[in-house]
Amino acid sequence: MTQHGFTISDQKRDYSRFGLEENPFPYSPVPDDEPDIYCGQEHVTEAVSDTVSTVLSTGKSKHLVVTGKYGNGKSHTLKYTRSLLRDREDVVVGYVAQPGTGFLDIYHEFMADLGFDYVQQVAYELLADVARNETEYNPIGSAAIKSLIDEGEILLSELVPPAIKRLSETAKFADFARAVVHLVYEDTNLYAWQWLTAEGIRYEQRKELEIHSALDDDTMAVRAFTSMKNLLIELGYDAVFVFIDEFESIARLSTKDEQTTLNSLRHLMDQNNSGLCLLFGCAPEVWQDVMSEYHAFSERIGREVALQPLTAEQVYELVEQYLNPVRNSGKQGIAPFTKETLEFVLQQSQGNIRQVLAICSRILDAALRQEQKTIGVAVAEDVIESV
Amino acid sequence: MLYRQRTLDLPHGDVETPILLPVRNVGKRSSDNTPEYVGTIPDLPTAMINARSIYQRAPMWERLQEGVTLREEMEVPEDTIVFADSGGLDFDPTGPDITPAEMLSIQRHLDADIYGTIDIPLSRENWVEENHRRVRQNIEYAIQTSEKHREDDASLLFASVHGYDPETVRNNIQHLEQRGDFDGYALGSLSLIRTDYKKTTRLILAARRATDKHLHVYGLGGITYLPLLLYLGVDSFDSSAFIRNAGNRNYLLPGFGGKELHNIDHLDYLPCPCPVCGTRTLDEIRVDRNLLVRHNLWSMVTELRRFRYIAASDKDVEAYLDLRFQDNEVTQRAYRAAKQQVRRLV
Ligand SMILES: [Zn+2]
Repeated sequence: MTQHGFTISDQKRDYSRFGLEENPFPYSPVPDDEPDIYCGQEHVTEAVSDTVSTVLSTGKSKHLVVTGKYGNGKSHTLKYTRSLLRDREDVVVGYVAQPGTGFLDIYHEFMADLGFDYVQQVAYELLADVARNETEYNPIGSAAIKSLIDEGEILLSELVPPAIKRLSETAKFADFARAVVHLVYEDTNLYAWQWLTAEGIRYEQRKELEIHSALDDDTMAVRAFTSMKNLLIELGYDAVFVFIDEFESIARLSTKDEQTTLNSLRHLMDQNNSGLCLLFGCAPEVWQDVMSEYHAFSERIGREVALQPLTAEQVYELVEQYLNPVRNSGKQGIAPFTKETLEFVLQQSQGNIRQVLAICSRILDAALRQEQKTIGVAVAEDVIESV
Repeated sequence: MLYRQRTLDLPHGDVETPILLPVRNVGKRSSDNTPEYVGTIPDLPTAMINARSIYQRAPMWERLQEGVTLREEMEVPEDTIVFADSGGLDFDPTGPDITPAEMLSIQRHLDADIYGTIDIPLSRENWVEENHRRVRQNIEYAIQTSEKHREDDASLLFASVHGYDPETVRNNIQHLEQRGDFDGYALGSLSLIRTDYKKTTRLILAARRATDKHLHVYGLGGITYLPLLLYLGVDSFDSSAFIRNAGNRNYLLPGFGGKELHNIDHLDYLPCPCPVCGTRTLDEIRVDRNLLVRHNLWSMVTELRRFRYIAASDKDVEAYLDLRFQDNEVTQRAYRAAKQQVRRLV
């Protein structure tokens, strides 16, 4: 269909002339939520692995900041690490896309990322744990306790008071305990979830849950987060990971709000010297400012690791990693790209991974239109000039 | 629709359910005693009595010990169907002054057709500690009663169940199904939350889904709730609303709820053709509380009869209820919520 110069077609483009099933490079610069390719910079993967492994092996808390300029792969690094950790059953991972206006927002995003179903399952695990202590039954996991309750083998009323008592002792926050336990009641679980995610509920609803406090400031959010972490640790999880991306956006807050946010994070780290790992993604210039102005915060972060612009070798490797999964010929390496083309790309992108991918995507399509077999520098130059 | 009709085979005769059991104040020393209705209202050969208050009223209990029957004491025919509940509302919340075995022997001595197990109603507060304790306690009483309920006793045993959330109600009934032997379940503690129609409906539905056995609802049989209970598949319910309303000079009329008589100036003929109103003037009813009580009971029976008629004549029950609830915004909302929940179940 051609109209006023637009050509809109749903016909699949045929990349077979390159021995490819499709164009593997992302058109949009948004990192995949579940990336399966990571062309890491070795020092970064080492630092991340080291931090994560230390938390897992010692149980002690450790935190890390990954710095890097816009497009150098911070989000990708965090999301890739998250996808590796999420496969493990012994840890809990929450992703916070950006810190918002304070720790309350971070807490909200963390809980929302865990999700209602997951936290409800945690509530059932708590009841299972109580049932193992209080009854002759030995339920393992949420499904087992759920069916014991559904079948009437165990009385819910036998489990709930001791569950609240125990969680209140662990969490030192009775309201939090009640909210968690209320997740198993269909009449009240929505209110309970709204309270737990700091979305705010009306006074009458709070009264129905017998919750006295409002979860509406940073101090309460730190308490609630710590309670959640303690609950998870008590249920046998090894660690809780919080990935906070785009941390540089705190620089847009007022000085007072920025300080409050950093203070809250400091309190959080101080109150959780075990079982917690915070992983920040931050622009280097903002991190420099934090380092120089907020010692109390920055000195609690164990380590900083910087993502560098890519080298030529890394660009070759990255392109190859993207191409390999979509090849339908025996070809290998960077073909149909040439080294010269990629060096040109590197030069144009200044090693910015996001730009490298975007340019490669456009070059591949341009070469297809021009019916090329290999992608020479000329095509790349055309693409760059046309922008 | 969950409405259902069954036959209960009881020691004093068969009863077609759903059935209303008017609360009889026999044994209570009070001026607002229940007037005669058994025999005069043919579809109410039934009564709900409070076993504990009869036991506690020494002269009556002595007469019963000496061989007078409960039905003689109540001045009703011997084939009157009697449901004896434990009188849970009068117990001290910390615990009943009667054991399950004692209660059972009192109920047996009263020659009741249906026994309700000892129960302590829930409070509206104290969700965490106290109400859970009461729930556990009631379950324990029910199980103990079941263990003592002899096999040669033809009277039915209903376990009293309490809970303020669907999970607890369901869980309690399932638990009792596993641990005891009951002919039915009686859902309590609803009168405290009666104005929360949505919650009340959800609790009844939870009970109704948890068991196919007989389901009784304690103390919720007012004229507004009545059609809702039938729609939700409740098999029996007891009510003192007809007495309480008469005490407040409320004239009950199906579809209109209660109307205070002093708000009505003058009427040559009453809007109800029942044997009480049919031949009397408003002023006669106004001055005679007993007449008002009896009319109110007739109103409830009329509502029950109409529902049976609708169901029996293959008419659209939901359309009838739409009409029934259209004048009252609160009950209309309650009914709509109930309809949605019921449709999800059917
Ligand atoms: Zn009448």
